[in-house]
Amino acid sequence: MLTLPHRPLRIAAAITLATGIAVLIALVLWAILAAATGGEGSASRIDIAHLLRMTSIQAGLTTVLSITVGMALAWALNRLRFPGRDLVVGLFASAIVTPGMVVAFGLLSIWGRNGWINQASEALFGFSIGNPAFGLSGILFAHVVLDGAFAARIMLARLDAIPTPRLKTGQSLGLTPWQRFAIIDWPALRGTVPGLAAIIFLLAFTSFPIVLMLGGGPANQTLEVAIYAAVRQDFDLAGAVRLAATQIAVCSLVILAASALAPIPTSFGASAAPRWRDRGFARLLQMLVLTLCTIGFVLPLLSVLIDGLGAGIGRVVAQPAFWWATASSLVIGTASALLTLLLALALALGRGATGNGLLRTLLGMPAFAYLAVPAVVLSLGFFLLVRQLGFAPSVAAPYVVILANSLLALPFAMATLGPPLEAIARSRGKLIRSLGLSGWRQFTLVEYPLLGRDIGVMLALAFCFSLGDLGVIALFGTQDFQTLPLMMFRALGSYRGNDAAAIAAILLVGTIVAFVGLPRLFERIADAAR
Amino acid sequence: MVKSTRLALAVLVGLFAAPAFAEDVPTLTIYTYDGFAAEWGPGPGLKAGFEATCGCVVEWVAADSSIGTLRRVQLEGDTTEADIIVGLDTAISGEARATGLFADHGLDLSGLKLPEPWTDAQFVPFDYAHFAFVYDTDTVATPPTSFEELIALPDNFKIVVQDPRSATPGLGLVLWIAAAYGDRAPEIWAGLKPHILTVTREWSESYNLFLEGEADMALSYSTSPAYHIIAEGDDTIHAAMFEEGHLAQTEVAGILKSSEHQELARQFLAYLASVDGQKVIPSTNWMFPVVDLGADIDPAFATLPQPEKTLVLSDEEIAANSQRWIDEMLAAVQ
Repeated sequence: MLTLPHRPLRIAAAITLATGIAVLIALVLWAILAAATGGEGSASRIDIAHLLRMTSIQAGLTTVLSITVGMALAWALNRLRFPGRDLVVGLFASAIVTPGMVVAFGLLSIWGRNGWINQASEALFGFSIGNPAFGLSGILFAHVVLDGAFAARIMLARLDAIPTPRLKTGQSLGLTPWQRFAIIDWPALRGTVPGLAAIIFLLAFTSFPIVLMLGGGPANQTLEVAIYAAVRQDFDLAGAVRLAATQIAVCSLVILAASALAPIPTSFGASAAPRWRDRGFARLLQMLVLTLCTIGFVLPLLSVLIDGLGAGIGRVVAQPAFWWATASSLVIGTASALLTLLLALALALGRGATGNGLLRTLLGMPAFAYLAVPAVVLSLGFFLLVRQLGFAPSVAAPYVVILANSLLALPFAMATLGPPLEAIARSRGKLIRSLGLSGWRQFTLVEYPLLGRDIGVMLALAFCFSLGDLGVIALFGTQDFQTLPLMMFRALGSYRGNDAAAIAAILLVGTIVAFVGLPRLFERIADAAR
Repeated sequence: MVKSTRLALAVLVGLFAAPAFAEDVPTLTIYTYDGFAAEWGPGPGLKAGFEATCGCVVEWVAADSSIGTLRRVQLEGDTTEADIIVGLDTAISGEARATGLFADHGLDLSGLKLPEPWTDAQFVPFDYAHFAFVYDTDTVATPPTSFEELIALPDNFKIVVQDPRSATPGLGLVLWIAAAYGDRAPEIWAGLKPHILTVTREWSESYNLFLEGEADMALSYSTSPAYHIIAEGDDTIHAAMFEEGHLAQTEVAGILKSSEHQELARQFLAYLASVDGQKVIPSTNWMFPVVDLGADIDPAFATLPQPEKTLVLSDEEIAANSQRWIDEMLAAVQ
């Protein structure tokens, strides 16, 4: 790796940050252990081996399906041009950041016993398709909608960034659709797969409300449920930390595998609108994929919009609390998106600057750390830490929520920015060295202009992630400090389904606007800088 | 704390903070669950009503669940800012009492109207309802009238219930079946298993699955229909009455020993259980009041069916057995 520019500062910053995150996680666990005063606690009543086996099967299936579906969808979206494409892309992307419950209810309104499809089928053919949305199939379906669409969004960004000259060459060589995928697309996608697979596996492994609601019962559970019960019902804090450590250990193996994979150069740069269409069967297949994914992914979200933008919306927007919650959500979302950008850049630039395999692996891990730690343990640990530092939880609440949301969004940000940044360091390293650019000038002159759209995608992701977050805010929210998702769940818990539906729809609209608008905005800003 | 949260936010936004409160007025800090403190919940009405007479400021601090308030106080111990917890129920009041964090309320509660006479020295009841399965008369013409009748229905008759480890009604169902069937409880759970569409984490998820038509019945409260009648003019949602009797969930409030405002806290609890305080409860928390409100309660509440028999479990029975009953339930439906 002689071609890499010498960037000790970048590596040092990344190491500092990685250490900081590791220390933070350790502190969180320590704070809970310290609070677990005395007593062995009741002997664990949980069959951990069984839980691990079930969870791994579910998460493994989710990962394979999501990556496959995501790749097919990205491929179709990259080739097809149609009116409203940006909106569809925005809708696909918004699934991952929408609170899981909203997506689950959206799915049910399409696929449930009383959903659109059953109603249509009964009206047309006189029979119903039954209840496919519950059990393992229900869990997988919901997860693939959430995660597959996210994978598609990231992969689409890579495909859209393939330089036009390469496409022109391919076209003039008369590549078949399959050769085109294998020679041009796959090398661009390859770099994203390990990171995406790790994220999706971790999301599915630690998924909780969806698994509980659509899973049918205790037979389909994750370790996260057991941890929640240990904290909440048994108040067995030591037991909870033991279970959490188990979960962290298992997840670390996945993270380690993903981080250790060698970097793969990918393409980067601004998106182009190529006019190279596939023909015949491939084109039909692309349309089929897009249609199926639209029915599977977009219809549920559309039903959320239709449900929500009707009845309750007037009553919701008339509440001052709604506007306070909106302001809080926007401020927190913006702050945590910017913080996420800083953290992701520090880690990814450091990672891209080192040729040392072990260091690369270590610098890749902290990004995922937050996904591996159970949410209930995190919020509890933060709560205790804040108190031990002598702050009132309500004072610290906004800061903790911003920090926690940034760390939660970090793996997604790294999946977006990591591959293109490393590709730049490797393909332009020689040039940068020969020009003798400083690190700062390397960033402003080379990296930033090429990253514009990716930064936009990343900011949109982090912003919306924080906009939709429920886990962190739950313990820190008060009557006066609430975000839109928290308000939505309070409405759900007080029979106010209409209000909740309206807030869900507003959240979704905000998300789509961010996903359509931010990448364009940043592409334009970066273009101006070029 | 209100001030500082807003201040923190305001610094972030670059705006000015909300006007500061006068500092010489005592603040009564009350932990509760989020639906209670919400804009449409009883919190704002009770705050306004009590502040009109107490010369104090009431501040609600909302946790995500009633058990969450107890866990938070347990973690905070003597340093808690809470003066009162509002919203625990009789299924966990035994555990709450065992923490030794709660003071005696010292109130005379003999005039209250509850399914059972109230004798608790630490906790003051403020509303109740019986656990019950709700159904929609549009889709279920003849609801089951007992667990055994429910079990005998075809398997495609689906119910949704909550996980007893995370939701208070879920725990309530476990206790209800234990109280009604004793040692036969595992058998009842095994019979229910084919009918259980899913077990959700929270009540809200179950209830919405039911409203969306995914299930025929959801475990909820005998007072749930009142919401639909009063707020939506919809009288198709009913609670099924079971012959074996129903267990009541009584929500309670308690004063923390560590509070510096013992007298003020006592006044609040007295207000909460008074006619004035109780007027706020029914159409905000959708439960029965604990005093006779006469004409001050929406007539829809009077039309709700009352179970013929109220089942009762003592604190001691619950504390000694709830873990085992939950395990039996989980084993049976696994």
